[in-house]
This record gives sequence, structure tokens and C-alpha cells, in this order.
Amino acid sequence: MGSVQLRGVSKWFPRREGEPLHVLQNVDLDAPERSIVAIVGASGSGKSTILNIVAGLVRPDAGEVYLNGVPAEAFKDWRSMTYMFQDDRLLPWRTAAQNVSFGLEAGGVGRAERRERVAETLELVGLTGFADAYPHELSGGMRSRVALARSLVTRPSILLMDEPFSKLDPSIRAQMHEEVLRIKELMGMTLLFVTHDVEEAVVLAHKVVVLNPRPGRVRETRTIDLPYPRDPLSPEVAEQARLLRGSL
Amino acid sequence: MAMDPTDPAAATGRPTLPRSGGPGGWRIAALRLLLLAALLLAWQVASWNMPAFVLPGPLRVWEAWSNLVASPGFWKDLGVTFERVVIGFLLAAVVGVVLGLALGASETLGAMFEPVLTVINTVSSTIWAIFALIWFGLSNWTTIFVVFMTAMPLILTTVWQGTKTVNADYVELARTFRMPRRQVLLKIYLPTILPPFFSSARLAFGFGARVSLVAETLGASSGVGYRLRQAADLVQTDQVFAWTLTLVTLMLALEALILKPLENRLFRWRRRAGES
Ligand SMILES: Nc1ncnc2c1ncn2[C@@H]1O[C@H](COP(=O)(O)OP(=O)(O)OP(=O)(O)O)[C@@H](O)[C@H]1O
Ligand SMILES: [Mg+2]
Repeated sequence: MGSVQLRGVSKWFPRREGEPLHVLQNVDLDAPERSIVAIVGASGSGKSTILNIVAGLVRPDAGEVYLNGVPAEAFKDWRSMTYMFQDDRLLPWRTAAQNVSFGLEAGGVGRAERRERVAETLELVGLTGFADAYPHELSGGMRSRVALARSLVTRPSILLMDEPFSKLDPSIRAQMHEEVLRIKELMGMTLLFVTHDVEEAVVLAHKVVVLNPRPGRVRETRTIDLPYPRDPLSPEVAEQARLLRGSL
Repeated sequence: MAMDPTDPAAATGRPTLPRSGGPGGWRIAALRLLLLAALLLAWQVASWNMPAFVLPGPLRVWEAWSNLVASPGFWKDLGVTFERVVIGFLLAAVVGVVLGLALGASETLGAMFEPVLTVINTVSSTIWAIFALIWFGLSNWTTIFVVFMTAMPLILTTVWQGTKTVNADYVELARTFRMPRRQVLLKIYLPTILPPFFSSARLAFGFGARVSLVAETLGASSGVGYRLRQAADLVQTDQVFAWTLTLVTLMLALEALILKPLENRLFRWRRRAGES
């Protein structure tokens, strides 16, 4: 459970005037079960569009997406996938706990079980004690954790993350990386995430897909063969990051 | 919910510019008292030079008011009017919210009904009162209908406009959780339109309460509007003043004791401007 494959995916966005914008060209991507795959590329190279296509929010114009080996059109188990957006999208009128509960409400989970799982997940992301805080009362890092908890509470087998930590300062980001790896170990989902920080990609991912812009196509797929946990300051990580940066 | 007695907004229910507490709050309160005293004085002086049936003095009105409150029919008339306003308003709120959400959810419906709303908005409450009199005669429904026709378009328009301010990102978020449409309306649309709904409902209730009197003077044989008309016919000007005083007091109490605390509770999640 939890694999994602893209085969020859292309996408054009219509424009008000002129030719449609060619955003993705013939993109192939493989995220096997329980893997961590990063997509890196310049701004506008179509990284978010890939995640939107995988999440079923945007329809590809050509090619095929397979989820757990099933073509997306025939896929049924959409609630086993969650999507953490580039912005945190916390609902301002809900407390942290209520925001986390949101995903479970859609799935029709009963109140008692919801309460239990929300508390559990808040603890998992280190937010016990902030359950009743409203988003405007939380720091940026804490808001990211709430958004992460909301994506985890349904216990997904596929987690999509779009530059989840790009707005956090470096020390908190490193801490979040550790937490994500710990949670990934615990829950065993497949992680497909976007970043434009190559160090982040190297620290987290088994495999990094490098996208070239206009139109976005896969320039290189690099396997990162380093043992976890990876020290972001180690020479191996620096070397991998340098190689990746070279192909960007 | 406890009210801050130094907060002028708590006393009048209206937001005031210098926010609460502090020496500024006391100064404003003192100035307002002074204004009230000046008005009372002017009223008193003016009443000396006019016959009582044109302008009764404050003391005479106070006396009339005390008698009115003590009279057996007072609470009944007040209750009857209140009931009509509340029923008309509640119907308006339910219909306004449901139709507003429906028009907001479908662009075709919205475009189709836009002119209807414009037409309804241009018809004055008095015309609704006359139609109501023709259709319902001297019954509760005349007043209820007029309140409804006044309040409903206002609420509907606000809810409909409110649906356009719904954040598409939140709807997309709900979509990634495969949230059913009904739940999206309930969990994204409703909370978004609640603040504008609340202010328009407040406005609509005020309008409704005011036009109910017009409706009652035309088409009722009980209620405050009917009593006002009686007093006018009998040239009991002090009675008219006494009823007016009652209504103003009631509306202020409603604001301060129910609406303001309710608003504070409902919108706790909002960060106040000026708060750090
Ligand atoms: N819904 C849309 N309609 C039209 N054009 C779009 C849409 N979504 C994205 N685009 C365009 O597609 C291109 C790729 O966008 P995308 O958001 O996928 O880039 P990205 O790689 O995520 O960039 P960033 O790193 O800045 O987030 C951009 O030029 C963008 O303007
Ligand atoms: Mg993006």
C-alpha cells in the first residue's frame, strides 16, 4: 500500500491569450511503497502541479498516474492519501485540535475516536498543551506542526508535502526533518515531497527527482544512498547536494 | 458573559472609536452624560412654551411611562409585537440563509435571481404592509409578512455575497479529504459567512422591529404599533413618548445583554485589530 507512479505525464494550462502554457512534459516518476521521494526544481518548473495531479486536483492532459498500482481513474481509496500544501491552510475559526480533526470528520469517524486520535497525533508532533489555541495564537513552526498533524491523523499510506518547511528558520527546519523521519518510521507511509532546498532533499529522501523548467521535465533521478539519520553538516550530504545543484 | 462597565461599547452595544477602559473611557462616559442632561434640559425648556399635546415635558412622559408599565395590557401588547417580529425575523433568517447559500453555490441560479432581488429591494415596506393587509387582513401574519419581506432580502444578499468571499484554498483542502459537498457547505461556507451574517441579521432585526410598528398601525388590533396609533388618534402625545422610550430601552438592552455577548463568544477566534 502506498506507491505512486507517473508515466509520461504532460500538462498544459490554458492562457487568456496566446498558446497554452506547457507546464509538464512527459514526466516519469516512481515512488515505491514506503519510500521518500523528493522533487526539486526551479520556481515555476511544475513541482506543485505534479502533486496536484497526484492528489487528483488537476487532470493531466496526457500520461497516466498509478496509485498503489491502480490507474488514478479507477482508484477508490483516496482517503488513504493526504496533501500538505505549500501554505498551512489552517482554518482560522478552528482551534489546533479542531483543525487536526478536520480530516477525520470528512471520513465520518465518530466523535469519541476522533478525540482520541487527535490527541494522539498532537502528541506525535509535539503540540500537547496547544490543542485549544487558535491559529493566530501559534508561531509559524507550530502552525506547520498542526498542518502536519492534520495530514497524519487519518493515518495515510501516501503523504504529499509541498515545500512543507520552507518558511521555517533553519534550526526549526532541521528539527522538523528529524520529526518527519521519526513519524515516517512509525507510520510507514510513502512520502512524496517538493522542495527547492537541495540539502533538505538529500537529508530526507531515498530518491531525488530533478525537474528542468519550461516545460517541466525530469532532468535526472538520483538515488541517495546514505544511511539514516543523515547529518546535514556531513561531507557526504554536502557532496550529494553539490551534485544535485549542478544538475539544477 | 461579564460586561466591562467602563467600556462605553458595552453600554450602547455599538463599537466606539477609543477602545474601552482607561481614562479616555471615563471622559467619554462623562461627556455623554453631560449631553444627555443638556438634551433633557432643552426638552424641558421647549415643553414650557408648547401645549402638552404637542410636546409633553420629561416629567409628564416619565409619569405616563410609569402608568403604562403598570397597566395590565402593557406586557401583552409588547409580547404580541415581539412575537411577530421574532417569527418574521426567524423565517427571514432561515429562508435568507438557505436561498443565499443556494444562489452562492450555483452561478446560474445566482444570475437568474439577481433581478428578482433588486425588485424586492426597491419595494418599500409600506407597500408590503398594504399588500399584507389585503392578503392577510387584521391578523398576526400581516406584521410577520412585512417583517419577513424587509429582513429576508437583506440577509439573503449578505449570505450570497459572503459565499463569494469563501477561500478557494479551504475548499480545495476539503476536496483533498474527499469531504462531501454538504459538509463543505457546513464546515467551510457557513463559518466564513457567519460574521457578515451576524451583522446583517442584527441590522435586519432592527429594520424588522421598526417596520413592524408601521404594519401594526395599518393591519393589527393589538401590539405596540396599534397602541401608538390609538394614542395618536386620541392625541395622547405623552403615551406616544412613553412607548417610544420603552422601545428604545428594549433595543439597547437587547444589544448589550444578548447580541454583544453572543458576538464576542461566536467570534472568539478572530484576532482583534490592534492586538499584538
Ligand atoms: N491552475 C493553474 N492555471 C494556470 N496556470 C497554472 C496553474 N497552476 C500553475 N500554473 C502555472 O504552471 C507553472 C508551474 O506552476 P507550479 O506551481 O507547478 O510551479 P512550482 O514548481 O511549484 O513553483 P514554486 O517553486 O514557485 O512553487 C507556473 O508557470 C504557473 O504559473
Ligand atoms: Mg509550488
